Amino acid sequence: MADSLPTEFDVVIIGTGLPESILAAACSRIGQRVLHIDSRSYYGGNWASFSFSGLLTWLKEHQQNNDIGEESTVEWQDLIHETEEAISLRKKDETIQHTEAFCYASQDMEDNVEEVGALQKNPSSGVSSTFTEVLDSAGLPEDSQSSNFNSDEMSAKHTQKSDREISLEVTDVEESVEKEKYCGDKTCMHTVSDKDGNKDESKSTVEDNANQPIRNRITYLQIVKEGRRFNIDLVSKLLYSQGLLIDLLIKSDVSRYVEFKNVTRILAFREGKVEQVPCSRADVFNSKELTMVEKRMLMKFLTFCLEYEQHPDEYQAFRQCSFSEYLKTKKLTPNLQHFVLHSIAMTSESSCTTIDGLNAIKNFLQCLGRFGNTPFLFPLYGQGEIPQCFCRMCAVFGGIYCLRHKVQCFVVDKESGRCKAIIDHFGQRINAKYFIVEDSYLSEETCSNVQYKQISRAVLITDQSILKTDSDQQTSILIVPPAEPGACAVRVTELCSSTMTCMKDTYLVHLTCSSSKTAREDLESVVKKLFTPYTETEINKEELTKPRLLWALYFNMRDSSGISRSSYNGLPSNVYVCSGPDCGLGNEHAVKQAETLFQEIFPTEEFCPPPPNPEDIIFDGDDKQPESSGTNNVIVATLESSEEGKNQESPEKHLQN
Amino acid sequence: MQAPHKEHLYKLLVIGDLGVGKTSIIKRYVHQNFSSHYRATIGVDFALKVLHWDPETVVRLQLWDIAGQERFGNMTRVYYREAMGAFIVFDVTRPATFEAVAKWKNDLDSKLTLPNGKPVSVVLLANKCDQGKDVLMNNGLKMDQFCKEHGFVGWFETSAKENINIDEASRCLVKHILANECDLMESIEPDVVKPHLTSTKVASCSGCAKS
Repeated sequence: MADSLPTEFDVVIIGTGLPESILAAACSRIGQRVLHIDSRSYYGGNWASFSFSGLLTWLKEHQQNNDIGEESTVEWQDLIHETEEAISLRKKDETIQHTEAFCYASQDMEDNVEEVGALQKNPSSGVSSTFTEVLDSAGLPEDSQSSNFNSDEMSAKHTQKSDREISLEVTDVEESVEKEKYCGDKTCMHTVSDKDGNKDESKSTVEDNANQPIRNRITYLQIVKEGRRFNIDLVSKLLYSQGLLIDLLIKSDVSRYVEFKNVTRILAFREGKVEQVPCSRADVFNSKELTMVEKRMLMKFLTFCLEYEQHPDEYQAFRQCSFSEYLKTKKLTPNLQHFVLHSIAMTSESSCTTIDGLNAIKNFLQCLGRFGNTPFLFPLYGQGEIPQCFCRMCAVFGGIYCLRHKVQCFVVDKESGRCKAIIDHFGQRINAKYFIVEDSYLSEETCSNVQYKQISRAVLITDQSILKTDSDQQTSILIVPPAEPGACAVRVTELCSSTMTCMKDTYLVHLTCSSSKTAREDLESVVKKLFTPYTETEINKEELTKPRLLWALYFNMRDSSGISRSSYNGLPSNVYVCSGPDCGLGNEHAVKQAETLFQEIFPTEEFCPPPPNPEDIIFDGDDKQPESSGTNNVIVATLESSEEGKNQESPEKHLQN
Repeated sequence: MQAPHKEHLYKLLVIGDLGVGKTSIIKRYVHQNFSSHYRATIGVDFALKVLHWDPETVVRLQLWDIAGQERFGNMTRVYYREAMGAFIVFDVTRPATFEAVAKWKNDLDSKLTLPNGKPVSVVLLANKCDQGKDVLMNNGLKMDQFCKEHGFVGWFETSAKENINIDEASRCLVKHILANECDLMESIEPDVVKPHLTSTKVASCSGCAKS
């Protein structure tokens, strides 16, 4: 029985995203009794990362438009006393929209392929495999469930539907016909392939070309088989090496749980070409793209930026100008202006003032060289590790964790207006003093006045780097400036297999921008500039210089950052709201939010102090002090809480599925 | 003293139901002491045990306790990540804890494999053997069979209280890990950045613009 859960806590935290997890660690670290719950089966909420099969499962869950068969939830209305009222929470996650997945890699494969080795079990395997196509609310014929088929038959069968889809979404109808196909794990995907008739031709072309320099042919089957090698983040972020998150990880010693790779290259996209941006002194002098004169100009300008505050005369007159205007006055060639604006300041052209730009450059330069040659770090196994590291810290200090645990409502005391408890999906009341909840759990009613922004995301699996060099293990960031003024720049992060986020011989590419339309409408043009769909390249050999797309996913994610507390209706004063991921490159927003909320709740306590020194270990009873020689990072104390002893710690009910 | 030629660092997990004696085993093994008082594990991340395996080899074992409160099997990936072996512990006086063993093993195998895709070595510990042997009596000779079926590399009757068989179980696990390791050399990751409290000083970098 899951009711072995204690019912008295100091802090209940709902949602396991980054700000909530930092708060959980911070609260448990100062001795608060923390209950940390998430309605999902995985840690991190929209900050999570998934194996390939895990991502397909996630995708399927979000493609199910209709309500997931409402689990038998205990009626809670009866549990509310006369002096109380309830604020119900949202039943369904609505932060992800417009999911569209495309498979370009060859799908010649046997049935029922599964990941090799351990499989991230499908948490919702009980749900039937029917689904609603998200793309096209007009819906699909019911026969889309027929599972095994021969692709020729299938294309004939689906012609009508394909036509309909094409008119909606595909621009070059000449080249591709879309059909959908069931893949190994029965997740619906679009297959983009040549026109039906070309299929055999293109195959024979490949065979003819067998003697040419071989690019690794990665099939969909391989991606599925090696699916565990992938750790695909829902948000794409990097850590500034002097940023708030790195500082917090180090200060709190949560850094012991996480390792990083340096981002090795900053790239720029100019005139249809990807180039490396020189950002360190060595880079500048080794750069082949820059002339001698340009090198001097750039060094001079960067040196000025590092201490720009001491030379107000240099920029005072341009305070009101945009940064790009200012750069034009600085004797920089267009080439350099582009590098400085897009790749170093990483700002969008229109909005950034001179001061903001100079500040951004200074910050960039100050982050250089702390750990490597670019200002950025990427966590091994993906950004999704980081919330879990804080959760581990929280658990080590006594926090209790429950995933797959739904909360039905807050119970508010009418008189004081304060929240007293939550009622979970078992109908159990759990009391606490403070409640922290992530935005997506709040009901429509609570959020009716809130205006949300959206983030457009794409996740690509490709077969080569967008800028090939001697080493195939580069981690790169590229800012693609907007095609038209007013639009948003697109941030591209390319991860190699040594970041432990993708299988060997592939790259995992994340695209991010703030949304103006659906993710695919916002990002597809950039994808097309940088990549070639796998199937087309077999015909157009001249296009082989571009990396090929093996698989692509587009989706929009709600950006609930920057919402003032007063926008929410009727929140009790002791309920605090954390936002989901923001669109920014760094994690500064999440860290600031966690620290601010912590200090609101516990104004006199220190935020995430380092764990106690091993020498301060206190053993209970008559135990001797441990021999210090044999210990490292061991802090043992004991908790005299009586309810602990008898509870079964069985994985049984929680591990099924 | 002659410097040993080889040093190995292995992360080992200690898994099992609440109250089967995971923390006691770790404390007995690492600190050579035992207390029947503690109930939950607070502030323990991992304990380090250094083994002088042979004149040429030093093995450092990081024993990771399941933080007492991750009780619903919701361990974070941080816990599993890069572990090389595990002990699954049950309490011989409580049959239910033995019934959970297969579930813990399945859970472990679903979340953790060696870099070569094989499951990690796991040793089964029948703990509190000083207090009676009910479960073992019932299962009798079937324990060997059980281990075979579920992929344990071995099993031991242990007592953290009486210090029975804990060193032996550990040696058994380490022996299997060492035997597996020869084909795992590729797993060593170059260029990994590990920021720590001690490394806060800014590295001087000749290639840096501000130098």
